[in-house]
Amino acid sequence: MSQKPCFHCNEPVLTGSNFITRIDGVDQVMCCPGCQAVSQAIVDAGLLSYYKYRTEPGSRQTALVPESLNHFSAYDLPEVQQDFVQERDGREEVTLSIDGITCAACAWLIEHKLQKLDGVDRIQVNSTTQRAFIRWQPSLVKLSEILSAIGSIGYNAAPFQLDDQEVISKRNSRRFLLRLGLAGFATMQVMMFALALYAGYFTDLETEFRDYFRWVSMIFAAPVVFYSAQPFYFSAIRAILSGKLNMDVSVSIAICGAYIASCVATIQGTGEVYFESVSMFTFFLLLGRYFEQNARQKASVSSSNLHKLVPLTASLVTEQGIEEVPAKKLQVGNIILVSPGDVVAADGKIVEGTSGINESMLTGEQLPISKAPGAEVFAGTINLEQPIRVKVTAIGQDQLVAEIIRLQELASNAKPAIALTADKLARYFSATILTIAAITYLVWRQFAPEDAFWVTLSVLVATCPCALALATPTAVTCATGLFTRLGIISRNGSVFEKLPKINTVVFDKTGTLTCGSFSFGDIQLYEGVDKARALAIASALEQGSLHPIARLFARIPTTLEVTKQHHLVGAGVEGIIEGTRYLIGSAEYLKVPSALVFPGQWVYLGTDSNLLAAFEIQDRLRDDAKETIAALKAKNIKLQIASGDTSAHLQQVASTLGIAEVNGGLKPKGKLELVESLRSNNTLVAMFGDGINDAPVLAGADLSVAMGSGSAIAKNSADLILLGDHLHRFVEAMNIAGKTNQIIRQNLAWALGYNVFILPLAVTGHVVPYIAAIGMSASSLIVVGNSLRLLRLKP
Amino acid sequence: MSIIYILIPIAMLFVLIAVGVFFWAVRTEQFDDLDRQGASILFEEETPKAPDAHVSASNNIEADKR
Repeated sequence: MSQKPCFHCNEPVLTGSNFITRIDGVDQVMCCPGCQAVSQAIVDAGLLSYYKYRTEPGSRQTALVPESLNHFSAYDLPEVQQDFVQERDGREEVTLSIDGITCAACAWLIEHKLQKLDGVDRIQVNSTTQRAFIRWQPSLVKLSEILSAIGSIGYNAAPFQLDDQEVISKRNSRRFLLRLGLAGFATMQVMMFALALYAGYFTDLETEFRDYFRWVSMIFAAPVVFYSAQPFYFSAIRAILSGKLNMDVSVSIAICGAYIASCVATIQGTGEVYFESVSMFTFFLLLGRYFEQNARQKASVSSSNLHKLVPLTASLVTEQGIEEVPAKKLQVGNIILVSPGDVVAADGKIVEGTSGINESMLTGEQLPISKAPGAEVFAGTINLEQPIRVKVTAIGQDQLVAEIIRLQELASNAKPAIALTADKLARYFSATILTIAAITYLVWRQFAPEDAFWVTLSVLVATCPCALALATPTAVTCATGLFTRLGIISRNGSVFEKLPKINTVVFDKTGTLTCGSFSFGDIQLYEGVDKARALAIASALEQGSLHPIARLFARIPTTLEVTKQHHLVGAGVEGIIEGTRYLIGSAEYLKVPSALVFPGQWVYLGTDSNLLAAFEIQDRLRDDAKETIAALKAKNIKLQIASGDTSAHLQQVASTLGIAEVNGGLKPKGKLELVESLRSNNTLVAMFGDGINDAPVLAGADLSVAMGSGSAIAKNSADLILLGDHLHRFVEAMNIAGKTNQIIRQNLAWALGYNVFILPLAVTGHVVPYIAAIGMSASSLIVVGNSLRLLRLKP
Repeated sequence: MSIIYILIPIAMLFVLIAVGVFFWAVRTEQFDDLDRQGASILFEEETPKAPDAHVSASNNIEADKR
């Protein structure tokens, strides 16, 4: 990033945002309206010292995706609302997912703004989950007004489909936190008494007090064993029932065995007690699980947030006139009216009208396709030019989109889950420990029957699987945190293991390697017209059209007045400006002589007799596409392009970037087959995509990356999501994953090394409780500390 | 030394209270959004709305039970 980061929250400023606050006489650039408003408020309140003394900027980010076609009014239909609005004593409640919250400042701004609305009773924004809980009085304010109020300050809010996973994982997270907290409190107390007992080893502690301390420790350790450690028992029982061994089996045996034996020792006033080991054991293990659970919950929250509920409504043509109905109520045979700018609500055939339809969600092609009566249109595509009437031919599961989703599900089911190294290791480790413990017991039975049980117990306690169990989750948690700072959402823990092994990367073209929107390339001028004048005329002619190329022209400010504007679908526009008739459009439309027709995509501007200008329109490559490709090549990774596009532009992009293998004209199924054939010859394939048409192939690739501005369904089947669409972050992600693997290996090596060292001591009966406790906690803390080194990496 | 027979149970009572407070804090979602609360001191106070000023965090739990 060449640009300075946001002054307020230190996030990279996404290109094209211009939020500026004057602080201490210097114009500082901000990344979002939230930061700008807050910094302004801080300055106005004379709180400049905040910027002087703050130690840490809020650091998280989301991509601000401008929603082009927002129909908030659809959210007011009762049939639509019943999916996500709760009614309670005359008030309505909803939880919205909000895009664009980068820090606490944004949350404050949204709350501030909405509290001013009449009828909003309560608004609470959670900046971690990027959601807002709102309660309002339907008699005073409509949901659509609330949504547009949030939209007006630069955030995009929508109800979302709660992931089933999330409800479960939220409950689990809370339970884990309770268990962890309880284990923490109890461990502290037990450890205090344990210190007194250790002192008793070396000095003379009276038996009366020793027993008293033991009893107290027993009471404190009870809730840890009976409540905090429950998850381990359940997981162990599950594993045994399915005939497998996992880490939890040996953990459960150690916890229960040590506790029961210690209780017996306490009651009889003999032997050793291991209460502090049991509590600490449970505490450290829970810590690892809690990290894992938290990472999982973050992933489920972000995937729920991606599941925006965009109510699809249709204008049903009835005998009484036009009626707005939710798309799910349409029947086959209904006639619907689709105005320009509207999304087609169901698959059908055009019965009246001719228009250009944007089918980019299916094909990745940005240019509209002209469709006349009789042509098929598909649900989810956007009508751009003229109103059309469509006869519905398929609804629900029979539509093309549903078919793509089915293909995606099939692909994701066929994806083999890789067994993580740590899990494999845990299985062998458990088996080994249990075997050694059994052998120890049998051997000691022969020589010293009265000590056999205690020695076996010390084997189980001292060979602590804690460090081993903490090795992966702590490293993955730190790496996930780094990813978040970089603007990469990782949706499962296995990405860290896969990323460094990737040897083939397949890119989609439109929207992935390119920006997916048009910009001007070369401009040719004739007849002495200057560029500003030509652009002003073009802009005036193109006002009011939804065609993507027209909108590119229409963005240029113009003062010229057009009369008698006339659109010709798929060809161009004509109109009268200052008494002259101008035309803008394709070469055929302006009858441009073939000597002046350029290769590539050009739009021509002229009068009836003369050609005035020619504009080259191109879908620009992303700024960092070149360096990303170069960096991947330097890593010896094979690169390919798989696109639905068939035009010359595809070859042009490939040759600019230096990618030799290009596959064009692929449908969703074709892309999936390509990746599957690559995978069959033993390569690990990463796939980049952004559209609905990429969803199946993203689900089927070993590792899939979706662009933050991509469609929700593509993001839903991706392992990594690049917010802010910086391709180069993927290279950084690979480097971080490499480092993470290194750290995990070090952790595992350390944990195994420690166990190998302590095992002979335990087997020969040299490990007394305090050594077991010290060794256990030290090895766990070393693992955690080592993982924390990851956070020092500068992204 | 026999004083510990009184002091330790008192200490246990304190721990019990601390655990109770911790459970209450988790249940009322006070650990749900940690970045937000740290910054809240910097933002100006809004006067709470009259009709709903007494709404406590318990409502929030109900809202999440959907």
